[in-house]
Amino acid sequence: MGSSVSMSGQGYAVEGSERIGVGTLAAAFEASPTPMIVCDPRRQDTPIVWANDAFLALTGYGRDEVEGRNCRMLQGPLSDPAVIRMMKDALAEGRPVECELFNYRKDGTAFLNGMTINPVRGTSGEVILYFSAQSDLTDKHRLQAALKNANDDLERQVGERTAALRTALEQKTALLHEVDHRVKNNLQVISSLMLLKARRTPAGEAHDALQAMAERIGALSTAHRMLYSEGDAAQFDLREFAHEFLGDLKAGLDAGRTAVEAEIEAVALSAAMAAPLALMLHELATNAVRHAFPGEREGRVSITARRSGSGMRLVIEDNGIGIQAGTPNPAGFGRNLVEMVVRQLRGRIDWSDAGPGTRVEITIPLETRTGVS
Amino acid sequence: MDDVTAGPNLRILVVEDEVLIALELECLLDDLGHTIVGIAGHSGDAIAMGRDLVPDLALVDIHLIDGPTGVEVARALSADPRTTVVFMTANAKRIPDDFAGALGVIGKPYTERAVANALAYVAGLRSGTAPVGGSLDGLSLAPRPTAGAAAVAE
Repeated sequence: MGSSVSMSGQGYAVEGSERIGVGTLAAAFEASPTPMIVCDPRRQDTPIVWANDAFLALTGYGRDEVEGRNCRMLQGPLSDPAVIRMMKDALAEGRPVECELFNYRKDGTAFLNGMTINPVRGTSGEVILYFSAQSDLTDKHRLQAALKNANDDLERQVGERTAALRTALEQKTALLHEVDHRVKNNLQVISSLMLLKARRTPAGEAHDALQAMAERIGALSTAHRMLYSEGDAAQFDLREFAHEFLGDLKAGLDAGRTAVEAEIEAVALSAAMAAPLALMLHELATNAVRHAFPGEREGRVSITARRSGSGMRLVIEDNGIGIQAGTPNPAGFGRNLVEMVVRQLRGRIDWSDAGPGTRVEITIPLETRTGVS
Repeated sequence: MDDVTAGPNLRILVVEDEVLIALELECLLDDLGHTIVGIAGHSGDAIAMGRDLVPDLALVDIHLIDGPTGVEVARALSADPRTTVVFMTANAKRIPDDFAGALGVIGKPYTERAVANALAYVAGLRSGTAPVGGSLDGLSLAPRPTAGAAAVAE
């Protein structure tokens, strides 16, 4: 962007503009609040040959202290060598420079100098002047530094807050595991209490009642053990659960006589359904297995569960003696229990004659959450 | 449990701080034809009994009277290759990757069937015969099951 200047007579003519009187030009620059200097590269060591009052005010020097000296006199410890090198290279190649460099006043204080340096060429094309304007960016610099400090401080605070939250989360998770383990242990204690008492009770109604209760607690225990075992504490898989609990059922059977078939879809159910479902499945399956086939009667019990519309349908069917044919229903309490649980699950239950045998069909609505199979 | 096939008799040490659970377990193991050689609720007692009695099998809970010291107990007991260690706990998350030398873990609350299966498996392993029943319902094996020896470092 070097302008071409020709010197003639009274003034300087800048290419492409009107003739400007030297006096006017000089007066304008002298009076400008922008610090300015002119350096002469044709003299040894490119000295400052002119400086305006604003420059003297900025640097704290007198005119006779700066004229004749190279402007490197303003540099000091904080002056970035990389910027200086860049400046030298550009000027050596005849290019203009725009940079920020720490300079020092006469009293030793530093300021951030935002400067532009323009080479001015004569008619023959060689550089005859460097014209430089400066500006004190210290406040701007101070502002930026303050902003950076504020940012760093904020980041530190966020880091501390995050660490605190993480610690709190770890503590809460540990507490959750602790509570879960206590519950499981307590279920084991309850089960043990029941079984111990059953052992000490002579065969009869009391013993059977205790044993039956122990088994119901066992079903609840199975349900609870399956919860929280994998990552998701809010859901459980019906198929896995049924497999676990039916295994217990089949273990108590004479497999040659009674067959239990199960077809359970892998439905994800909310944890709140685990306990009631466990009780319900236990009652119906145990009832079918134990009471549908008195004496040496052989038979088959089938259990199916699958999604149906917006809910789930459960069917338990046996080919045994049927509802009517049974002696005063030994599972009376069990049937009440099932009906109460179905009501709790807001479902419907239908008992019917499967000729032969009994068919129980239960439909339960499922919440439309993430119940994906 | 009416139709459990009686396997070889195991001498069993129960390490459990809940008295009721220990008592019921004792009855169950007795029904299955095994012998309880001791019950310990404290890690110190458990390790001492293990050293003195050298049980065939130790069933170890993780939370004992003196805190979550069951893992140390398992490590101490499994150092003797004559003893097989199985965890019985509600808190399987506390078990280290190497299972402290234990064969596996039975999760609480357990069913009697699970315990019976696990015992049949252990008895079969120790006598070198194929385990009766074969199913491992209820018993989760350690990644590298060893009968008592400490696991090799990774």
